[in-house]
Amino acid sequence: MINKLLIANRGEIAVRIIRACREMGIKTVAVYSQADADSLHTQLADESICIGKAAATDSYLNMERILSATIASGADAIHPGFGFLSENSKFVGLCEKCNITFVGPSSDIIAKMGNKSEARNTMKKAGIPIIEGTDEPLFEAHLAKKFADDIGYPVMIKAALGGGGKGMRVVYNAEDFIANFNSAQQETIKGFGDNSMYIEKYIEHPRHVEFQILADNYGNVIHLGERDCSVQRRHQKMIEESPSDAIDEKLRKKMGETAIKAAKAVGYTNAGTVEFLLDKNNNFYFIEINTRIQVEHGVTELVTGLDLIKEQIKIASGEKLNYTQSDIKLRGHAMEVRINAENPERNFAPCPGTIKTLHIPGGNGVRIDTAVYTGYSIPPYYDSMILKVMAYDTDREQVINKLKSVLGEIIIEGIDTNLDFQYDILNNKNFAGGKITTDFIKDNYGY
Amino acid sequence: MAIKLKELFKKNNEIENNNQKNNIYKTEDIPSVPDGLYTACEKCHEMILTEDLYSGNMVCPKCGHYFKLGAYQRISMIVDNGTFEEWDKGLIENNPCEYDGYLKKIEKLKENTGIDEAIVTGVAKIDDKETVIGICDTRFLMGSMGHVVGEKLTRAVERATSMRLPVIIFTCSGGARMQEGMVSLMQMAKTSAALKRHSDAGLLYITVLTDPTTGGVTASFAMLGDIILAEPKALVGFAGPRVIKQTIGKELPEGFQRSEFLLEHGFIDNIVKREELRDTLAKLLRLHTSAKRDSMRKYKEYLDDIYHKKIDEDKEERDIEKQRKSSKDTAWDRVEIARSSDRPTALDYIYSLTKDFYELHGDRLYSDDGSIVGGIAMFGGQPVTVIGHQKGTTTKENIKRNFGMSNPEGYRKSLRLIKQAEKFRRPIIFFVDTPGAYPGIGAEERGQGRAIANNLFELSTVKTPLLSIITGEGGSGGALALALTDEVWMMENSVYSVLSPEGFASILWKDNTRAHEAAEKMKMTAADLKELGIIERIIPEFPVLNADTMNHVMMYMKRKIADFMIQYQSKSVEELIDNRYNRFRKF
Repeated sequence: MINKLLIANRGEIAVRIIRACREMGIKTVAVYSQADADSLHTQLADESICIGKAAATDSYLNMERILSATIASGADAIHPGFGFLSENSKFVGLCEKCNITFVGPSSDIIAKMGNKSEARNTMKKAGIPIIEGTDEPLFEAHLAKKFADDIGYPVMIKAALGGGGKGMRVVYNAEDFIANFNSAQQETIKGFGDNSMYIEKYIEHPRHVEFQILADNYGNVIHLGERDCSVQRRHQKMIEESPSDAIDEKLRKKMGETAIKAAKAVGYTNAGTVEFLLDKNNNFYFIEINTRIQVEHGVTELVTGLDLIKEQIKIASGEKLNYTQSDIKLRGHAMEVRINAENPERNFAPCPGTIKTLHIPGGNGVRIDTAVYTGYSIPPYYDSMILKVMAYDTDREQVINKLKSVLGEIIIEGIDTNLDFQYDILNNKNFAGGKITTDFIKDNYGY
Repeated sequence: MAIKLKELFKKNNEIENNNQKNNIYKTEDIPSVPDGLYTACEKCHEMILTEDLYSGNMVCPKCGHYFKLGAYQRISMIVDNGTFEEWDKGLIENNPCEYDGYLKKIEKLKENTGIDEAIVTGVAKIDDKETVIGICDTRFLMGSMGHVVGEKLTRAVERATSMRLPVIIFTCSGGARMQEGMVSLMQMAKTSAALKRHSDAGLLYITVLTDPTTGGVTASFAMLGDIILAEPKALVGFAGPRVIKQTIGKELPEGFQRSEFLLEHGFIDNIVKREELRDTLAKLLRLHTSAKRDSMRKYKEYLDDIYHKKIDEDKEERDIEKQRKSSKDTAWDRVEIARSSDRPTALDYIYSLTKDFYELHGDRLYSDDGSIVGGIAMFGGQPVTVIGHQKGTTTKENIKRNFGMSNPEGYRKSLRLIKQAEKFRRPIIFFVDTPGAYPGIGAEERGQGRAIANNLFELSTVKTPLLSIITGEGGSGGALALALTDEVWMMENSVYSVLSPEGFASILWKDNTRAHEAAEKMKMTAADLKELGIIERIIPEFPVLNADTMNHVMMYMKRKIADFMIQYQSKSVEELIDNRYNRFRKF
């Protein structure tokens, strides 16, 4: 069993991990940057070690300093949280070399899943549906067309070096392909001085549905149902919920089994998330496996009753899973709203500063994960997420009502936040009606 | 040396005790850092993952510090795997000054370092090009030059001369080896003399200066390369910084005697990052390979083929002439076009007309003048030297380029490259675009007139074909310094004159607002000068050179340059020089 655990992270996730450790009787070591001397995780942990300057490369991303702190403090394990070094296979490899237990999968698995094309190939071999696409760049229109004809329309033409929509085209039928390919390629040559193009199957108005999995070191893998994270602004998730109203029990079973198959295909261990895109005809496609705890793990905890951080630590300590798939029942509905220190009116520019007043409501079925407090200064160097507001109730409608009530009560003064924007979404008829795809924010708000 | 992470957090220096303590507890289960996993950077003292250091060419990923390399380590980074054959191992060491314990120390160093002396020499291939190579190693008495170092180097150079191979030396040395007294000083003479014979045989010598290169090594073989490269931030100088500081009693400026300082002062051709050294050397060796017979003729045929299939060249010229005659542009219009900041610069021409351009820097005397660029490139499968006036396209760049107005060091750089081209029998293509030589105090102090005159003097007898193309402004003596050539061509919208039209109007009419009138009088356009026999050819711009016509114009130029090369390379050296003499004798 782990005796002392170092948390290589900051903010609410560090606090979340410290709390789980306390409940388990594990001593905690926080690491912090000079900008985080007053932060909550620094104060809550049993020991705290300053590991460098404010810039993440000098602190939370500095592998050597974190390893030094681990060994110097006598900790025997590291929990990486999410972001920072959590999916860095090199860092995990170093932990392995130094006999430090890393709470997460092995460096090999992280490396394999981090390499997109290798991950795709592994999944394809295992019979997991993937979005068909070219592995090698294409240069000539007629060869590209042959490929597009094979995978079926619509297809997306992308520039290898593309960005900001340049060199990108969606083609709905074979007749339009050549003209679109040529114009996309011309744009790419002009914009990037390169003519390598990729083709992939285009999924229209998909939903983002991901499955939480747990796998121990003995080959046991279960899934904890799905999370629907379709409400996204430029690939940043804003609202997540479980279960998804887009899938029924039969599809859940099928997707869940596929997620388990994907995890087994790579010999996955610890907690992970298998992400899928779901199209309007209920076809689903593997995107990637996130080899870490997710921001939105709380909604799964609310509907399953499990504590995912504790499960992660138990698995890392070598314990067997205490549950089989039939033990896992999703009860009720849970939803999470992310509150960020940012200004939606200024193109969501981050808004660091000092919180003058903070009022956080409680109540039945309300969970708020945060590391901020009245008088806390949000440093400008890191992620702008400050609150995760979660609610749990019998069904989706009740949850939305509860969240509206909670958001209406929250007071944050001194900084700008996206609170009102999120409140708006909860009041949006399309959102309430469950008509959400990953284009929801763009279609309804234009962002 | 691996550092125990735990030691970082100790406030005392009792490292040995700590080590013992660690060993007692060291079991499989306790987190610890295995020996050798990390290496501390010599400069920033941050810990570097040892495997990162080795896979990253021994450069600190945190601060960019270059770790010193052992000779064999360097060889493995540079040469094709398994091609290195070492020469002259085990030469007998003497102790000419009977210095106490000297030979014993040498024996011990041989044992500890695994190398035979402070230099390793031999023959190897770099990207399949054979070359003699020598690598100094500072682990051996600071890489100092004793008689064995000098002897190994001299023998290697002599063998390279007889085998007609290039020589590449990586230098790092404290200088002469004090323990050997005057015998050590003689090594400077010996090695330099061997290199002169190698050079006189028309062979290539490249030096790569690495940290530190000082004293007698700098004052001999290190600074004699046809091409001198340096690793970033390497200390290179004759007198050591400590000695200079003690003598003058002043703090030395930041960056003094570092590679960047040398580049700025014109002593090296380029600074090359360690990871790019192998490719750079391979490219330079390729640029010094002689062209295959007939390659230019084949290139011309290839160009004709992709241009028009069969071309009626006479008709083409008549059409161009007709088009030109119908043009309504005045001389002043041409002056304005020639001065436009949209005109292609020398580097634009070089990159469009040639392949594999490698720019060389510095006059080896004082500075690197940004207003003149030059280097080696491939034209139609044949190495050529290219030199041109370079104007900037932005204000910032124009300041760096001094608006295309050269100082004496610019002309001296061009002369160095001209001489180098002659040594390697490379034709030279010049691109002229300058308002004139820079009128400045410093320029006069350093002999502007002498610098230009010297170019004219030397160009007149260079033994390889020379072609000059006026691309924009051909401003007086500053332009002529790159135009005493076998043929001079002008772009259709360029001008070439004894002074600016403004100057002309001001001197003769005391009114510089009449510049447009002066432009007509001065006969400075390509058409005027062709009629006067000052130039041989006008390059059509169809009708003005811009992004749309660029391809067409460049293709035309390539064909004409290929014709020029075929014609002039078939001439004997005497004929070539006589022709050039008569070309200017007639005026």
